Amino acid sequence: MSASGDNFECGHSLEELSIYLDTGEFSDPGHLTECPECQSGLAALRRLAALGDELVSADIAAAGSGTDDWMQSILDNLRLELRPGRDIPVRPDTPGDILTETEGSISALIRSAADSLPGTAAGKCRLDGDVSTPGSPITVRVDVAVVFGHPLEERADALRRGIAATLARHTELNIAAIDVTVADVLEPGFPGPAAGPARPSESSEEKP
Amino acid sequence: MTGSPPAPDHFDLVPDALLAGRAADGDTVAFEALARRHGPLMRASARRLTGSLADADDVVQESLVQAWKQLDTLRDGDAVKSWLLRITASRSIDQVRRRKNHSDLSDLDQRLAAGSGLAGGGAAGAGNPEAAALSGSRMEALKAAVAALPEEQRRCWVLKQFNDQSYEEIAQTLNISVASVRGRLARARVALAREMEGWR
Amino acid sequence: MNQSLLPGDTTPAGLAAALRDVILDVDGVAEVFPARPLWQNIAGAARSAVTGEPLPVVQVEFDGEAVDVLTRIGVSTALPAPAVARSVAAAIREHLGSRTATVRVQLVQVR
Repeated sequence: MSASGDNFECGHSLEELSIYLDTGEFSDPGHLTECPECQSGLAALRRLAALGDELVSADIAAAGSGTDDWMQSILDNLRLELRPGRDIPVRPDTPGDILTETEGSISALIRSAADSLPGTAAGKCRLDGDVSTPGSPITVRVDVAVVFGHPLEERADALRRGIAATLARHTELNIAAIDVTVADVLEPGFPGPAAGPARPSESSEEKP
Repeated sequence: MTGSPPAPDHFDLVPDALLAGRAADGDTVAFEALARRHGPLMRASARRLTGSLADADDVVQESLVQAWKQLDTLRDGDAVKSWLLRITASRSIDQVRRRKNHSDLSDLDQRLAAGSGLAGGGAAGAGNPEAAALSGSRMEALKAAVAALPEEQRRCWVLKQFNDQSYEEIAQTLNISVASVRGRLARARVALAREMEGWR
Repeated sequence: MNQSLLPGDTTPAGLAAALRDVILDVDGVAEVFPARPLWQNIAGAARSAVTGEPLPVVQVEFDGEAVDVLTRIGVSTALPAPAVARSVAAAIREHLGSRTATVRVQLVQVR
């Protein structure tokens, strides 16, 4: 860099150039195209910005991926602690013992059933009804997103069957209905919300 | 559309705004997708701001808890990334303050590689840019130069470069004036540019 | 009354550690989570994740001769979850022998 202090001979400073890079604001824009000192200053700042971007990329890579153990342990804790939901009773062998499943663990189980189908991802999931009283009728409501091109009705049916089987095996809930709603259709390689297709919403319900 | 489109790896295809909306409704899976997506950048920023691997992980955890609790205050789901980074930045600064208030605590933390971001600032041995320049890559030289910046300048530079904050946001995060941000950021860049010119 | 006590079982901490192993040995149990929510001590949890130092797990409280046990567990889907919960309660009771006990088992993860 040519200047020894922060000010160039032309009277402008690196601080001004630094602000110009961030905001595009400069007192005398025409000057920038003519002044060799300002140009070389800008070039140095731009090289630094590019190097800075490189450092960010390198640090992100060094930070690991979102699927690594560190993030998994953070998320496990988060799931357990922040939204455990209601306690769902399980019949004890010894009267007086209190055995329960958290609503959160069952919702997660339902979501994983949806996530395991090809081209399908789970969204909102609710257990409607008094889950804390044994025998109360419960309606499961789950939203799914399906990648465009996958058969919606077929996916919904398969998911309902899967959820019914899973809940029968892993809970003692009295499931009255399973309501699967296709809430979103996703474009493969989804670039952003604006480019997404229209989102049809179909809901279907049946007794399991 | 021909053939079978690829299945989404859970929420990989889903844009931030959609996930943020669902997460605000209490959908933990959507929130997890956001955390996985932006967690590495949050961690990277927290590491540079706190200078400590363990502190950075504490910060990321606390930030995600706070984000989860405050999701309903997020108006624009598209802005979730910068929002997460804003929380991370504030908590990182808090963490460094806490650490300074307990500087007598033995420093068990695994420190970052030589001079790459010690929180204490100052240009002590570990932060010698020339030594790093001779022994390491250009990136190592930049890390050393960043570590050698006065702490106030380094914070401004990291918040700009990593967290992509505006002058106003940086001023808010650090509780200083916008004019101070402008000056410190410029001085940081001048110092870094000088160090790095030798690397061209 | 304490004829079934094993060494180490006379303190809550010793009994908690022993019960943790008993619970982990039950078929279908994948994990034993700390009985007290980690987020009550966020920094401690993060440090534990980094250093690998375990946090206290099974909650054990003595009330005279009676003992109160609370555990939070994760189970695999290999076996029906309610059956695993009952097996865990039975295993805890077996370890406690003839002592009067209240047993609480919370399934917080099924996967």
